[in-house]
Amino acid sequence: MATLTNDQIKVLEQSRQRLAQLTRSLGSLIASLNQSDPLPPWSSLQSQASIISNNLISVSEQLSDHRDLLSTLVAYPGPEYPGRTQANTLEQLLRTKLDPRVEDWVERGRIAGTEKPPPDTFAIANPSLAATAAQKQLTEADLAELWEWAPIEANEEARRRNWGGNFTLEEREAGIQNVVTGLRKQLEDDEEEDDEEEEEEEEDEGEEEMEIVGVHRKSGGNGVEFDIAPHHAHPVQPVVPLSDILRYMTTGRMS
Amino acid sequence: MHELLLFASVPTHQHAELLQQLAGLTAMQPRHCFERRLIFKAYRKPGVANARVGASQDLQSGDLQRVNKMLNGGMFYTQVVGPVQSTDFADAGVTDAAANANPNPVNPDPDTDTKMDGMDSESSIPRSAYDFDQQSWQLEFRDIPEAGTRSAVTSRVMATAALPRGDIVPSMNAWGYSFVTEYLVEGDMFIHNDIVLNLHRVLHYPTTPGEENQPRHQMPTLQQMAPLEKSGSYVLQASMMVQDGSNQETMKTASQHLFGLREQLKSAVRLEMADRLSLDTRVK
Repeated sequence: MATLTNDQIKVLEQSRQRLAQLTRSLGSLIASLNQSDPLPPWSSLQSQASIISNNLISVSEQLSDHRDLLSTLVAYPGPEYPGRTQANTLEQLLRTKLDPRVEDWVERGRIAGTEKPPPDTFAIANPSLAATAAQKQLTEADLAELWEWAPIEANEEARRRNWGGNFTLEEREAGIQNVVTGLRKQLEDDEEEDDEEEEEEEEDEGEEEMEIVGVHRKSGGNGVEFDIAPHHAHPVQPVVPLSDILRYMTTGRMS
Repeated sequence: MHELLLFASVPTHQHAELLQQLAGLTAMQPRHCFERRLIFKAYRKPGVANARVGASQDLQSGDLQRVNKMLNGGMFYTQVVGPVQSTDFADAGVTDAAANANPNPVNPDPDTDTKMDGMDSESSIPRSAYDFDQQSWQLEFRDIPEAGTRSAVTSRVMATAALPRGDIVPSMNAWGYSFVTEYLVEGDMFIHNDIVLNLHRVLHYPTTPGEENQPRHQMPTLQQMAPLEKSGSYVLQASMMVQDGSNQETMKTASQHLFGLREQLKSAVRLEMADRLSLDTRVK
């Protein structure tokens, strides 16, 4: 039975401190959630969460760095330990199994970590878990939600832009030679080559015209609405009002 | 029978797109149709023609009784409608003889219209020239739209009856109706559930001397027809027929279906009820 070296005692002391920090920050989060009414502002919750997250990371690093030492350590009471007065602590220290409650937590954590971690909570608690979660496939419900969300969002994004030409304004400002198109064909910048464009326009007029169809959520329910009314460059409004046409169709006279 | 209607004016630049949109909505291809519409006007007080029609016993079919009733109810404009096909129009450059020589006429659209009862025999006649004597006709009576209806649809009493083929003017004269004018309606038809959608426009015949006072026996070429609305706009008409107009329940359901359609087409066209007086068929 070897006694602990100073270094090893230092490791234990460091672990204790980090765990104490974690407990403290968790305690302060719980206290602020319990006490303040209304709830504290999101920014303070966010900062507390990130503190806790950092604490968790440092505890986790500490535990895994000194895994060899910590897994071989055995606790036993020395003769000078005040066993009578500190019986509770002694029992906790001598436990060989985890508390059933704690065992449940650990179990839940393991399942959540290996199967399908809810990305939001685990992203904060453990970045490495979140990274593995991102590689997992989305569930059906998640996919459905994504599909419902994406077309509308993409359309709204598309409608913010004035379409036409091969390059965006940002790209043009940054210099079009830097744009990575991934195409073999050399794209022309329309604005700089107006003459050429005009000739081309006559040839392929109507070919490259793209219509942006509006889509937005229905005001009072599910589903989406489409703005299918086209926008024409040269609208020709009817000259004869509808009522006159109907009158002619009924009686053969316009008035 | 009752007819519920909504109308919309469709500018010419929107026509092609609306056709596609309606085709998508109704899941059917447009049915292109042409209709000759003759307008007749009552010149005799109601009731006078009673004895005369009743005297000919062999004509008392159900249809004719109905015709008789509707024609004697008051002084009205009424329409005689005859479906025609694109092959009925004179083909520029093809003479009658040339057309006769062709035993199998090209008939691009054999069933242009559901209303074309008995048109089969006509389309099988091996010439493209128009045969006025075989033209089928249908009498369409429309009352003035009901006044003061709270719902925002045009609703009117309607009745239709088949008429003999060929020259219809003598029969109509006998009923106390005189020929006023005629025009051609060209357009496309869609069916959406229980709603008939017509996207059509009025075409004028080219004026030829001597033919203004009676229906034309020859059809001009389609190119010679000029639209009434010079800009070429179309009228979209959504209509629904209700057998029993006195049943408030069915009338309500029908107008709700029309409103549903109006809602669906809201972003493309604005379907509205028509000005009541513009559909006034009474002779003043």
